[in-house]
Amino acid sequence: MEALDGISAEVAKIFAGKEKRRHDLARLPFPEKVQAVIELQELAATRGKIVKPWSASCTGV
Amino acid sequence: MLNKLEKEGVFSRYAIGGAMGATFYTEPVLTFDLAVFVLLPQRSSGLVSLTSIYEALRARGYGEEKETVMIEAVPVQFLPAYNALIEEAVAQAREIDYEGVPARIARAEHLVAICLQTGRAKDRARVAILREQARLDSNFLAAVLKRHQLEEKWKLWTE
Repeated sequence: MEALDGISAEVAKIFAGKEKRRHDLARLPFPEKVQAVIELQELAATRGKIVKPWSASCTGV
Repeated sequence: MLNKLEKEGVFSRYAIGGAMGATFYTEPVLTFDLAVFVLLPQRSSGLVSLTSIYEALRARGYGEEKETVMIEAVPVQFLPAYNALIEEAVAQAREIDYEGVPARIARAEHLVAICLQTGRAKDRARVAILREQARLDSNFLAAVLKRHQLEEKWKLWTE
């Protein structure tokens, strides 16, 4: 039981860390978020998704 | 480009919505197009058409690709404000500065309401993430939901 509690505590710590990371990402300035979206698109393109990642600067739109 | 088209009267006002609109308030999420709601000038026929936007962009060398127009390598999906909620979202959108360029983004509360109204699985996920990460103004949201008869749907999705 103690071992299980230990695992639960460890998993809870991992989840809390992930949660904090997501909230930190949400607080990024918008241009940095746009850059992150472009990086996600590039990643999707490398995995066979037929997609043209956006250009680095979207200010022309 | 959006600001230029608005200034020229191709549409009277625009606001960014969809996944990129939500990303302004939340963590970045993967999306492939930029959804833009537009208020179009009323035609004498009463019909709403995106033709004038496509023509104006074509004249500048931006071509259509499926349901989007490629502007500076970004597929932009124009959506006419098709009901009172979208009209309100465009009218009350936030003015932001994007690297020195003014832009307009729908308020988070309106994005929530639009998701409730649209009702797809991805809208449900977007509502969840907006609730979790956007700093929603609960009074403003309540008023929007009431005005557009979305209170029941909100309860259904959040209780």
